[in-house]
Amino acid sequence: MFKNFRGKPVITPWTIWLGVMSIILLAGLVAGIFVFWKGLVITNLTDLVPWGLWITIDLSSIALSAGAFSLCAGVYLFGLKRYQPIARTATFVGLIGYTMAMLALILDIGRPDRFWHALVYWNEHSLMWEVTMCVVLYLTVLVFESMPIFANFEWFRKHFPKLAHRMEGVHHYSPVLAVIGLGLSSLHQSSLGAMYGVIKARPFWFKPEMSVLFMLSAMVGGIALTLFASMLANCLTSKAKVNDVLIERVAQFVRYLLIGYFYFRAWDALAQTYTYDPGRSEGLHILTKGPLAFNFWISEMLLGMIVPMFLLLYKPTRLNPFWRMLGLLLVAAGVVTFRWDTNISGLLVVMPVVPGQAIAYTNYFPSLVEFLSGAAIIAYGLTAFSLGVKYLRAVDHTLVEMEYETIQAEAIEPVKL
Amino acid sequence: MGDDKLSRRDMLKVAGIAAATMIGLRMVKGANASETAPAGERQWAMVIDQNKCTGCGYCVLACRAHNDISPDITWNPVLEAGQVGGKNTYLPRPCMQCSKAPCVEVCPVKASYYRPDGIVMMDYDRCIGCRYCEVACPYGARSFNWEAFTGNNLAVPEWGEPKIERRPRGVPEKCSFCYQRIDRGLALGLEPGVDPDATPACVVACPMGARLFGDLNDPESSVSKALRENPTYRLREDLGTGPRVYYIPAVADARREA
Repeated sequence: MFKNFRGKPVITPWTIWLGVMSIILLAGLVAGIFVFWKGLVITNLTDLVPWGLWITIDLSSIALSAGAFSLCAGVYLFGLKRYQPIARTATFVGLIGYTMAMLALILDIGRPDRFWHALVYWNEHSLMWEVTMCVVLYLTVLVFESMPIFANFEWFRKHFPKLAHRMEGVHHYSPVLAVIGLGLSSLHQSSLGAMYGVIKARPFWFKPEMSVLFMLSAMVGGIALTLFASMLANCLTSKAKVNDVLIERVAQFVRYLLIGYFYFRAWDALAQTYTYDPGRSEGLHILTKGPLAFNFWISEMLLGMIVPMFLLLYKPTRLNPFWRMLGLLLVAAGVVTFRWDTNISGLLVVMPVVPGQAIAYTNYFPSLVEFLSGAAIIAYGLTAFSLGVKYLRAVDHTLVEMEYETIQAEAIEPVKL
Repeated sequence: MGDDKLSRRDMLKVAGIAAATMIGLRMVKGANASETAPAGERQWAMVIDQNKCTGCGYCVLACRAHNDISPDITWNPVLEAGQVGGKNTYLPRPCMQCSKAPCVEVCPVKASYYRPDGIVMMDYDRCIGCRYCEVACPYGARSFNWEAFTGNNLAVPEWGEPKIERRPRGVPEKCSFCYQRIDRGLALGLEPGVDPDATPACVVACPMGARLFGDLNDPESSVSKALRENPTYRLREDLGTGPRVYYIPAVADARREA
């Protein structure tokens, strides 16, 4: 692995990829240092819009990590064992996603030095507290679930064979971890929506379906991203080996979930068109006719749901890897847009304090620092995933882990497909 | 194979029990979530008479001095509230010190909490700066310290001397009914709302006497009397937050009498 660094630098697509990612990471690192040094004053966040781009990255990373818990539950709890290789990729994606969310949060909170307070000073009434606890605990679960993946690192296997074997052994606990993961994820994925849904001061958010929408969209987007990432890796490198039959079957599941998500999202928006409700109607206006109209109608509805629904329902396009990949990518992008739209549409409406005064609007556009550090968080995720594909066999459907019921079985038995 | 099925069923059972436990816990939590401010012996409240307020802004300056507030932040802005009987009216907006405060409910670390006397307090040393309280406050009463306030406070000493610490960068801050003046006054045997030294700075600074402060539990306090004798309203009462700041609405006739 380290050979290339000693000899002459060889320019390959891989090194170019790493180079580009390093530049983005470096720029983001500088931006991040500026944020910690100068404070949040250098962002475009205001008292009216205190949550912006970073919270969207945070919410989206968590949402797109939902493939981990859904697929692990499917494989280890519902007995769909043959999808285990995809669940493995999903777990790795999830681990990356949750660490991305942590990075975004550390940037976003005003006192990053006190991030641990949430674990020490409990306010069980706060959804934010619940989400924080669940995310921290679930990240721990993901670390355990990913141990067999990290045990695949060649260099590590050579130098610490015993430890690598131990880490592989964690796989025996997969069903237990899947139960805990399912519980924690069901709690915090929906609570992230409820975090918005309980805020009475923001009428456009104040609705119970918020948690349902967040949960459903997370499952749709999370599984879609895992499948897309697997297929993309398969296109780009021989290190990734996918069994297209498995991916195609899970993609069929995604389309049904997508129909459910579309149903809820459409009704959520359309039902609010009836009667005028102060604040809520303004929020809907922003979303469907105002600055977010393009996001809502094109990115979320058309490209995020209707087009991929067609691509995944219509057999010829679903069987075609390109169209399937496009469909899955659009689904994931649509979920990210949903997170952005939800956060911003509620904040842009300024409810009057003085009785009888008109409802006002504000606006928000992220600053350069926010963009650079946000891009670096995404670049970190992409880099980590590509390294995982290259060195940890994160996308390798030929790798079959030992059966969790038979503890005495051989460690790893590659199966020719 | 038989073992396999059994263990899977067991797993499903465990999953079911875990899910049921989680749901149960959440329901208990939901029942607890409607906690309100504890009912202490004293219950501080403020009454603001919009007939008397002229929008001079003395309260804003006194507040700035006594609480050492950055020029970027105003705890207690005086908002224009339209015309009544041909005269401009104003609405000073301190923190409402809600009895069921959204900020206290949402804070992940209990940095916002109720004092027994009803004041909604901020523990600036505990706050992590997530700004959920700011998002949740229906009154816009919270301002975030986007940067540290390091300069001179121009309202000092003309409008008063600060007796509390400046808030650090990265935490939201808000009006506290000048708890430091109340506590010090009570320790000296003074009565808040009666003795100026024990009363919030804005109330003392008002040249029109538009603000009253006192104990709701004391039927003879100025606020209790004002609430008995005048029609009053509270801001966004529909939200059920139970504010402790009451307003006497401006009336055209009262203007003429004044």
